[in-house]
Amino acid sequence: MFDKEKIGHSFPPFSLSIERGKIHELALAIGDMNPIYHDQQAAQAAGYDDIPLPPTAPTILTFWGNTQLWEQLASVGINVKRILHGEEEYEYLAPIAPGDLLTGVTTIVDGKSRRGKDGSSMDIVTTETRYSNQQQQPVLSARTMFVVREQGE
Amino acid sequence: MTTIQEPVRRYFEDVEVGEELPSLVKEPVKHLQLVRYAGASGDFNPLHTDPKVGEEIGTGGIIAHGMLIMGFVGQLISDYVGPQAVRKFGVRFKGMTHLDDVITCTGTVTGKHEEDGQGVIAGKVQAKDQTGDVKVVGTFTAVLPHRDA
Repeated sequence: MFDKEKIGHSFPPFSLSIERGKIHELALAIGDMNPIYHDQQAAQAAGYDDIPLPPTAPTILTFWGNTQLWEQLASVGINVKRILHGEEEYEYLAPIAPGDLLTGVTTIVDGKSRRGKDGSSMDIVTTETRYSNQQQQPVLSARTMFVVREQGE
Repeated sequence: MTTIQEPVRRYFEDVEVGEELPSLVKEPVKHLQLVRYAGASGDFNPLHTDPKVGEEIGTGGIIAHGMLIMGFVGQLISDYVGPQAVRKFGVRFKGMTHLDDVITCTGTVTGKHEEDGQGVIAGKVQAKDQTGDVKVVGTFTAVLPHRDA
């Protein structure tokens, strides 16, 4: 059962610098071979100042930026072994470029439990991570909805 | 709102509500791709990389990271408006993707409006496998330049 007292709880801030190599690696894994993600000169030739971030680049921040994510979720009583990703949403507030140092703070913004007649239960927990750059300018907001299903006894 | 830094791909005036984004058919999902995606994203949950774990928890072998499929849909949107034109992008994960699934991403422009003198388009997107099973549904908004700007 999710403890509603945890709504509003924030975890310690984490930081990660944006690197061209990680953008290249992510785009390769996705299979997006658009040269703007792989080659700085190609990006500049296409009109960008530098290599841009693909829309799902925030996933790098989620896991490489915060290597303690699972431990933190477990610390508020979430069974991370049974966690499923329900929803993911990004709001891009300002441009992010290689060399930027982003700092994120993750807050539990919503959570509830549902119990089935068979004794099973389901927790639905939403986190929001707000990222700022080295000028303390907000650049990105990420919302994640997790679903945790527990079997009955 | 910040000014657009996206090189012009298409103008606000040229996009019509109901227009379809050029669909994107991805290569079949392979084990190596999931290992590669684990390293790229930092999500090392073994249910995406270790077939034994997949069998133990009853997912029928390893399953793809949901975020990889969101990444495919992100590629669809990026190809259409360019990555820096996107203002919001959100998805709901509807189904598991297995090895050798061929994912096709599609999208439709659902709305156009002006906001602070900027042209904003809204769209809906989805990803399906070769049997039509829906993996991801989502929405996005993007800012496009005006032709006379």
